[in-house]
Amino acid sequence: MTREVLTVLVLVCLGYLLLTNLTYVALVLVAAVENVVRRHERASQDFEVLGESRFTIPVSVIVAAYDEESAIVSTVTSLLALEYPEFEVIVVNDGSRDRTLARVIEAFDLEPYEVFVRRTLPTGEIRAIYRSRRHRNLLLVDKENGGKADALNAGIDLARYRYVCGVDADTVFDRRALLKGMRRVVEDPARIIGVTSHLAIAQNPERVMAAPAGRRPIDGRPFFVYQHLDYLRAFFNNRLAWSRLGFMLCSVGAFQIWRRDVLEEVGGYSRTFTCEDIELTFRVHEKYLREGRDYEIHCLPDNMGATEGPDTVRKLVAQRERWQRVIDETVWSFRGMWFRLRYGAVGLIGCPFYLVTEVLAPAFEALSIVSLVAAAALGLLDPSALVLMLAAVAFLNAALTASAILLEDLQSRTYRVRDLVRMLLLAPLDLVLYRPIMVWARLKGSWRFLRGDKAWHKFERNVRAAA
Amino acid sequence: MNDVVRSVALVLLALSVPAWIALSLTIVLGRLRYERRRRVTTTTRLGSRAVARLVRRARRRPRTEWGRWRRVAALRRLVEAHHAEVPRLIRPVLEDPDPRVATAAIRILGNIGDGWAIALLVDALRRGYGSRSRIAAELERLAPAPGPELVRLLRDWNPVVRFWGATLLGRYPERAGSTVIALTWDPDPNVRAAAVETLGTRSGSAVGAAILARLDDSEWFVRVHAARSAGRVLGVEAAPTIARLLADEHWWVRTAAKDALRGLGPAAVPSLLAILAHEDRFARNGAAEVLQDVGFVDSLALENPSSPLLERIYEAGGERFREVVGARLRDVHAEEMRAA
Repeated sequence: MTREVLTVLVLVCLGYLLLTNLTYVALVLVAAVENVVRRHERASQDFEVLGESRFTIPVSVIVAAYDEESAIVSTVTSLLALEYPEFEVIVVNDGSRDRTLARVIEAFDLEPYEVFVRRTLPTGEIRAIYRSRRHRNLLLVDKENGGKADALNAGIDLARYRYVCGVDADTVFDRRALLKGMRRVVEDPARIIGVTSHLAIAQNPERVMAAPAGRRPIDGRPFFVYQHLDYLRAFFNNRLAWSRLGFMLCSVGAFQIWRRDVLEEVGGYSRTFTCEDIELTFRVHEKYLREGRDYEIHCLPDNMGATEGPDTVRKLVAQRERWQRVIDETVWSFRGMWFRLRYGAVGLIGCPFYLVTEVLAPAFEALSIVSLVAAAALGLLDPSALVLMLAAVAFLNAALTASAILLEDLQSRTYRVRDLVRMLLLAPLDLVLYRPIMVWARLKGSWRFLRGDKAWHKFERNVRAAA
Repeated sequence: MNDVVRSVALVLLALSVPAWIALSLTIVLGRLRYERRRRVTTTTRLGSRAVARLVRRARRRPRTEWGRWRRVAALRRLVEAHHAEVPRLIRPVLEDPDPRVATAAIRILGNIGDGWAIALLVDALRRGYGSRSRIAAELERLAPAPGPELVRLLRDWNPVVRFWGATLLGRYPERAGSTVIALTWDPDPNVRAAAVETLGTRSGSAVGAAILARLDDSEWFVRVHAARSAGRVLGVEAAPTIARLLADEHWWVRTAAKDALRGLGPAAVPSLLAILAHEDRFARNGAAEVLQDVGFVDSLALENPSSPLLERIYEAGGERFREVVGARLRDVHAEEMRAA
């Protein structure tokens, strides 16, 4: 009996593996087309004109900061250096317990300031507002702690402009990030309501972004290389394809541009979910599709900057279990869209894709490990067949990773050749060195979702060397 | 089970290992080739066969998106080679139903910048090919050459075209004065807004009168532009009228009025003080905010902290206003102490 059950389990897991990887391959092909189109589009783009034109739509950049004393000054400095005709930076200190507030006040010469705040979105109490004596486009809002969603909503209430760009306080941005992000929007602001894009991951983002594109280093430790590869796969293999197929379901928190009236219409970022970004994207899709409105949400293949990645396994697990939890929360919360014709590609492809490859993945991954090990232990599975299977999965992952690297390199030529080689060589070992951590984090996240845990579990910031 | 697992694994390996190797080689070799090409500084001249191929590609009417972008790429290379057929070849790209492709043609025309390219851009603006805001950006960058072509847009039947004509004339204060003034009475509110914004770059009594009239426009966004233009053109003379807009029902209008009054500096203070007695809470609050921004509140608090006027401003500014001014002054005192 056990043998029969094990056989069925192994075959089911094998089926799952084939199904998901076939889906990924199909998405890579779609992403490749999208990447080429965007590359052509970018090649005929003139950022100089866009950067000087008064017709380029102004943007309010909102930085939600909670206990970010080590990173906040670099982040704001990089934002103030953005090449963009008209923008403002609103830093929202969400009741930090460390010196985040003091560091911003000191670094940018801020003074207390009183301004009328429109309460379009309800937020926690604002304690004080500061403005910079040196940078007239920099505002700091000090509010009581209410979570990232609440901080972003407070920023939206203060924003002057029609588009807002929510960013993370641990990210260092490319000087042209906003131009790259808004280039599609300015062409069709009536339809394009949301844009997100790709970010590199680094232990020390300042160091990475200090180098020009084409010479940007990748942090040496394989631990960071794997996180970076994970990001590349997520953005280039998946989100580009989603964008092309009309179901871009996750505008990432580190860089997300939204038309402000859309945010106000949907009630801003939700405070009831573990994270704010993916849920908001789902909510916007749900509302616009339900009301039959014409709109587009895009993921662009441009590198916008570098964000800080966890530097220990414990921190990484804390981060990824949170991501898994919010995916589970969101997909479950929007179950009304699953397989519904009314929701078009989002309901028929996007939601099922999330369900199969994200929500159910931890269960299948755990089941695969248990059943394969048990089958081998019981002599049902030959060790050589097991090794062959593991090698096949490892190279399948490596091929998908190489696709993502190729798409990135064709698009931006961001990294040095030696880093490209290193990434390619490390790719097959992902299954052994990195994937087990992900499986554990995702299982933990799923378990916490089932228990109803909604805490943020923010990872402690890395200790950075001077840039 | 062994056979199934082994067979699946072998098939996957047979596909994935070569794929990984091929992709890796493509990446590394492709990148090295790119780097080598980048290092070569001289531009390579296109051979006649290459030109013929590019012309053929640019002439094609592709059905796929991919093909359309290949056509754009071919056109770009022909422009770099100063090919004589470019003016003829670019027109169909400009008319492409995909606005992104049409916008790529717009950018190419902007880079060319010759008389014929400007004429095509203006024509595209009239006909709605591609993104009008991108056409406008290109035309503005080519100023002053497109000036004469733009005046004609003001009389177009299409309000969108009149809007862009009026907007772009902001760079040409000497052109079409009376027509732009007349457009402040256009039936289309977008045109009125554009006209009044453009008048903000001009001067004269007729201009001032037209702007003042639009401060009472029925559309809020016309009032926004009128407030900003009034501040620029009429200066302190318009301050009492602009200050009235601090009580406007629309947030954007109130914000524009604050910006305009801020721009007037201390000269706006009398008009702002008059608003402190306004029945509307937002108007009083806005007046207090601008008084703070122009430095009036801080200097009054330094010179006469017990002034009843200061109390009225604090009251108008809301509960935190007094506290914020106090904190700012403490900073000033601390700095003075440090300097001493």
